Amino acid sequence: MDAPRDDHRLSENGNGNGCGEADGRLSKRPRPHPAPISAAEIVEEFSHNDPAVARVNNGSFGCCPASVLAAQLRWQRLFLRQPDEFYFSSLQPSLTRSRSLVLELINAAHLDEVSLVDNATTAAAIIFQHVAWSFIEGAFNPGDAVVMLHYAYGAVKQSIHAYVARAGGHVVEVPLPFPLSSPDEVVAEFRRTLGLCRAGGRRVRLAVIDHITSMPCVVIPVKELTRICREEGVDQVFVDGAHSIGNVEVDVQDIGADFYTSNLHKWLFCPPSVAFLHTRGSPAATPSLHHPVVSHEYGNGLPLESGWIGNRDYTPQLVVPAVVEFVERFEGGLEGIRRRNHEKVVEMGKMLAESWGTLLGCPPEMSCSMIMVGLPGCLGISSETDAMKLRALLRDEFKIEVPIHYQSPPKDGEAAGATDESGATVTGYARISHQVYNVEDDYCRLRDAVHKLVRDGFSCIQSTEEGIQHSSKREAAIGFQSRFPKHGGCGKFERPLGPGNGPIWPKTGLSWVRWMAHATTWSHIKRWHRLRLSLPGGLGDGTIGN
Amino acid sequence: MDRRHRDDSADNGGDANGQREKRPRPAPRAISAAEIAEEFAHHDSSVARINNGSFGSCPASVLAAQRSWQLQFLRQPDEFYFNRLQPGLFHSRALVKDIINAADVDEVALVDNATTAAAIVLQHASWAFAEGAFRKGDAVVMLHYAYGAVKKSIHAYVARAGGHVIEVPLPFPVSSNEEIVREFRKTLELGKANGRRVRLAVIDHVTSMPSVVIPVKELTRICREEGVDQVFVDAAHAIGSVEVDVQDIGADFYTSNLHKWFFCPPSVAFLYTKKCSASSCLHHPVVSHEYGNGLPLESGWIGTRDYSSQLVVPSVMEFIGRFEGGIEGIRKRNHEKVVEMGKMLAEAWGTFLGSPPEMCCSMIMVGLPGCLRVSGEKDAMKLRSFLREKFKVEVPIYYQPPKDGEVLEKDGNNCVTGYVRISHNVYNAEGDYHRLRDAVHNLVADGYKCDMLSSK
Repeated sequence: MDAPRDDHRLSENGNGNGCGEADGRLSKRPRPHPAPISAAEIVEEFSHNDPAVARVNNGSFGCCPASVLAAQLRWQRLFLRQPDEFYFSSLQPSLTRSRSLVLELINAAHLDEVSLVDNATTAAAIIFQHVAWSFIEGAFNPGDAVVMLHYAYGAVKQSIHAYVARAGGHVVEVPLPFPLSSPDEVVAEFRRTLGLCRAGGRRVRLAVIDHITSMPCVVIPVKELTRICREEGVDQVFVDGAHSIGNVEVDVQDIGADFYTSNLHKWLFCPPSVAFLHTRGSPAATPSLHHPVVSHEYGNGLPLESGWIGNRDYTPQLVVPAVVEFVERFEGGLEGIRRRNHEKVVEMGKMLAESWGTLLGCPPEMSCSMIMVGLPGCLGISSETDAMKLRALLRDEFKIEVPIHYQSPPKDGEAAGATDESGATVTGYARISHQVYNVEDDYCRLRDAVHKLVRDGFSCIQSTEEGIQHSSKREAAIGFQSRFPKHGGCGKFERPLGPGNGPIWPKTGLSWVRWMAHATTWSHIKRWHRLRLSLPGGLGDGTIGN
Repeated sequence: MDRRHRDDSADNGGDANGQREKRPRPAPRAISAAEIAEEFAHHDSSVARINNGSFGSCPASVLAAQRSWQLQFLRQPDEFYFNRLQPGLFHSRALVKDIINAADVDEVALVDNATTAAAIVLQHASWAFAEGAFRKGDAVVMLHYAYGAVKKSIHAYVARAGGHVIEVPLPFPVSSNEEIVREFRKTLELGKANGRRVRLAVIDHVTSMPSVVIPVKELTRICREEGVDQVFVDAAHAIGSVEVDVQDIGADFYTSNLHKWFFCPPSVAFLYTKKCSASSCLHHPVVSHEYGNGLPLESGWIGTRDYSSQLVVPSVMEFIGRFEGGIEGIRKRNHEKVVEMGKMLAEAWGTFLGSPPEMCCSMIMVGLPGCLRVSGEKDAMKLRSFLREKFKVEVPIYYQPPKDGEVLEKDGNNCVTGYVRISHNVYNAEGDYHRLRDAVHNLVADGYKCDMLSSK
């Protein structure tokens, strides 16, 4: 059957070598283009982004250019036109093609090592389920340890508890300071933690290491930490590089981990959603690595298992050729994009820190296309909920999208925390991103918005007491359920929320529910629950009373 | 919402406030044949597409609604995530709850497909074995004609964790529900032998290959009588194809794909979990922020993905509301038509139906002339490919292996070992089945045998 149209476009461009070839080879150097993509063309490629919004949060959900979306639509239409033909003739070869391109991008040794999955969260579930079986089947002993960083992504922490702790593993966190001043601080803490495990007679079965932590965002020296793991006799290393590809250089052979995952929809312009999971060595090396959604290919190796997990839309996994074509329109290709993003975000970060009288959360060499910038202490960010409220306020009132990290102030006896130029402790950091569609004005708007809040005397603490004044006008009510896990949850009250800081509950439309958005105590939430049960129609959200 | 009217309800896609009509708005007139053709104009018009059962179908208006949701996300994903996603998912779940007559919307989770739902239920059983709630050797029962992927899932989770897997042998062709009930009872006895407990029965509502409608309500009742702990109905094909009333059926877990017979885009399914103590132990295998908050919420966020196929249920309801009799009307007409076409083919080929009409839904099995000599699953695949490539007819073929000593049904002198599974959905026309009829006649007239067809 005919190849999809993106292949024809490639050959029309006279790109004889490189992407689009059936052998999956990717040019190691960017092909010279008639002219690199222009600013106007970039704007057009991202014209579906809301132009009113200063979108300085590429890190949470990524972005996808129009030409790649068009390629995806063509794949979708191909499937819908004749799905059986697509399934039998097109799907697997096209997935193989995408995997081949990823292999080149990450310098994997064999195609068998590269699987495509939905996202890094799925990749984590695959790894941790494998570990759980090892405990259940006795390959690991109860109490053997799995090590993770304190700033591991919240969902990954949940997954470690759901699989590893539940199966009898002992979970150990590496404490990490923030702000950071050098990678040595990370290395020191990591060594110390492994040393503690060794001293306690615990075998460390798996180390879970972020390549780029999410919140707060820093680049972790994964190659060095992986080497330390080998020295210390850690069985396996899993690098959670959710943000990495398109953001930092990824060379899986050089890093040397057993498992490495990264999302392609964050910084590599794929539509939602697709990630790769690299597993060192062929499937024979890790026969018990399985996709949790078991289908016809079970037992044929993870790449094939992941290539069919029931009837679904696989098109996000099929557009990698179109993405490579897009990336090569930029000067320097992906490396050029990364470099310019990094330079620009550091420049903008410094601009903001200087303007606000604050600081960067880490030195530039520990940042990538994202950087943490301290917010003025007078904003009074005193909890994750405050951080979320401020984020919502910036979105609703200023149309600025930026996630905010809450850094708890040092406890008594600890070293003093970072302060701003007025001497106030900095407890909030904005995580700014820079991607090809960003312009300086986005960051100027953020700068000015924060200045305005400071001038107006805004404080998160004050807004809690006053209730509604500065709250989001469209903010969804926070349901008690998402704060209080029932069975099997990790049991913490202040759990890490969604990407950045996120909670979710169906809108109810009742004005006092906005008060609920500020509730941070169990008593508030119990009171809301009693009210909910007492109303004849519930809260009109359909859960009770119908 | 009043069940009687739910088929005629019409909702706007993308309505974020979750309001829905209590009574149907009278439609100006039923959708016309020309409008149906337009809704499915994206199908390959040269193909006789009589395999809705495998991949389903999705009308243009629902695809447009899906696109709208996708663009909303792309436009401002953070705002979408915080303000629109969960209300949109909730709206879809609430509509599904009414369609299937669940008692509570908390019992309804949306997942990718029935394969994912099976993994959820079976992983739960796996933990039960691993943690000692079930004893090693306790049994899980499934039908012989359970879907291949589900069988693998049962082995991957249950057998691996120490469970004993038992298959209920089922005859095919089948002539009555009693044959199925009998075999099921026999197998349950076997399952309970030597003091073993049967922890889970996995029962298809509509088997895939060969396709027959299983009397799930009766089998579930038998399970309760016989002390089976839990019943999981794998109804991948059911919704939009047979009536689904989960309270009436009474199973603990029930799943069905919405993209097969319910006009959703790929892919979305619901997993119904009867409220009881076990329901809080079910987890989505992809663990994320909502872990521990109940399966519906867990499934509502499993990392960044495209959730748009789960958000279009209101648009689907609107589409269905344009048909006379709503979903019930569609089901009835599909069933009548597929039986009529099945009989036409069986008569034209001198063969027979694989089950009586009352044991089929919108799909039916029709015996292929024995002279085609379908002698294995590979032959069935080859013949299917041949029909696709040479005749542009898309129809899956089932191979029924002869059992030792069993005399197979014959058409004249040859054993019937191959069956086509024909589907009928709203876009099908009689011409589709005539083309299949004539293609097979063509092959027979040319003296084709399957071993003459080269593999692809």
